[in-house]
Amino acid sequence: MAKPPQQRPAQRGATRQSLSNNRQSAWRAPSFDFKLYLRQHQAFLIESFTRLIAHPLASLMTVMVLAISLSLPGGLFVLLKNVQSVTDQWEQQSVISLYLFSNLEDTEALALSHQLSSRADVESVEYISKEEGLRYFEQSSGYEQIMSTLPENPLPIVLKVIPKAIVDLNTLPELQSLRDHLQSLPQVEYAQLDAEWLQRLATMINFGQRFVYAISALLVIAVLLIVGNTIRMAVESRRDEVLVMKLVGATNSYIRRPFLYMGFWFGVLGGVFACLCIMILAWWVSAPAERLIELYHAGFELQSFNAVEIIMCLTISAFIGVIGSWIAVSRHIRDIELQ
Amino acid sequence: MEIEFQRVGKKYESGHDALSQVSFHLQQGEMAFLTGHSGAGKSTLMKLIMMIERQTTGKILVDGVDLRTLGKSAIPFHRRRVGVVFQNHQLLFDRSVFHNVALPLQVSGADDEQTGKRVRAALDKVGLLGKEKLNPMALSGGEQQRIGIARAVVNKPQLLLADEPTGNLDPRLSAEIMNLFQEFNRVGVTVLVASHDLALVARMRHRVLTLNQGRMVNDGGFA
Repeated sequence: MAKPPQQRPAQRGATRQSLSNNRQSAWRAPSFDFKLYLRQHQAFLIESFTRLIAHPLASLMTVMVLAISLSLPGGLFVLLKNVQSVTDQWEQQSVISLYLFSNLEDTEALALSHQLSSRADVESVEYISKEEGLRYFEQSSGYEQIMSTLPENPLPIVLKVIPKAIVDLNTLPELQSLRDHLQSLPQVEYAQLDAEWLQRLATMINFGQRFVYAISALLVIAVLLIVGNTIRMAVESRRDEVLVMKLVGATNSYIRRPFLYMGFWFGVLGGVFACLCIMILAWWVSAPAERLIELYHAGFELQSFNAVEIIMCLTISAFIGVIGSWIAVSRHIRDIELQ
Repeated sequence: MEIEFQRVGKKYESGHDALSQVSFHLQQGEMAFLTGHSGAGKSTLMKLIMMIERQTTGKILVDGVDLRTLGKSAIPFHRRRVGVVFQNHQLLFDRSVFHNVALPLQVSGADDEQTGKRVRAALDKVGLLGKEKLNPMALSGGEQQRIGIARAVVNKPQLLLADEPTGNLDPRLSAEIMNLFQEFNRVGVTVLVASHDLALVARMRHRVLTLNQGRMVNDGGFA
């Protein structure tokens, strides 16, 4: 039986200490080998995909659940994008129309036009003479014959004032006060700001945005849980393997890796199917949507996902997949301990 | 590898004293048997060496290094230097014999060429060279036990631990397995085998450590 340590001569203890310092290196991780690291990752990337394919039906079901969960926020995002592109077009049209008193001379009207266009909050002023106004009117309304029967042109001079501020909820009060100011000018009979509908629309878009964010957040959590649970079951089904790996000296990060890749694949495949769903859906609704917008005399082409958004969608879904499996795996692998 | 226990005690959370005041010194290249009735603490002792459990009192030195000074992150690297044949952590039946034996090498990041060579060398030592492509399920109990041994030695460990390696085997197969351990010991590997088969242990003529209710009651002589 070995002697208790306190009976050992001090000198021997000292040499033993230096020896143990030297030997301690055996317990440290070997120096980092990048090539090996890459090779292992590549092997895991392929191995985890093969595992998914080995259970095609179960994997497909999980992937489809993820795809549906992801395609809802994705689809709402596309919807919002299109609504915004439509409103962007309308924003450019937002003007304050000044109907001048009909007894005003052309020169006075021109002078007012110049005066207004030099204002800091005005982008430009379009001068529409009585004759031009008449021509527009005839072209667009089909009252050509009635107009030609009138003894003289009844239309006033119109100044279309285009404000610098882009119309949205924040600038609306500013624009309204600009309208009020213009209305108070002596030359102006009536000033009209075309913005009430915009206020309503902007509120709706704002509401829509928040709705999309909330839904997206919920569904991202759902995806995290689905991936987490799937991976947790995968770890559980490979419990024996995890134990043997721990026994033969696998690090936790090594054991974790194939499961993280599995989460990665679930995320990517879910993302691919979600993109497909959204694109099919966009294609399906594009014809009626475009016809609907045409009714409002606006040029419109429904936008689906573009390349950048597809890549973003896949990146995000892959990321969610990895995070979901990370949460499940790191908890679970720690719990599986040799006994 | 050199193992030294200094008054080691292990008390489980349930309050059960699995080991108490256990001291022994296993020299580099030595072979010893660990015997005792079931529940005497043989498995606990092995788990302490593997750092599956930690002792509650005393000191365990491996090659002069106090295991208590090693953190959690050092455990995998410690285990890579120890080959184990444990009864309850056996083979994986979802892969071939080759891949079972290759596992420790994969874990420590050996390349394919090296892995192939070492696995075949290990299988050759245990006499299963021709069966590397089979599923372990297709092999007999004795052969499965030998796959476990091949897996334990494939990484060229400095210490070989075996917990009841002959548990379910008939006497002839048991003797074969013990001879295998002796061969590994002959090339310099420190070997510690837990077994309750006293007759077999006596025939092997090696140092015997006997545990009784967690205490070392005999050290040295043949059982």
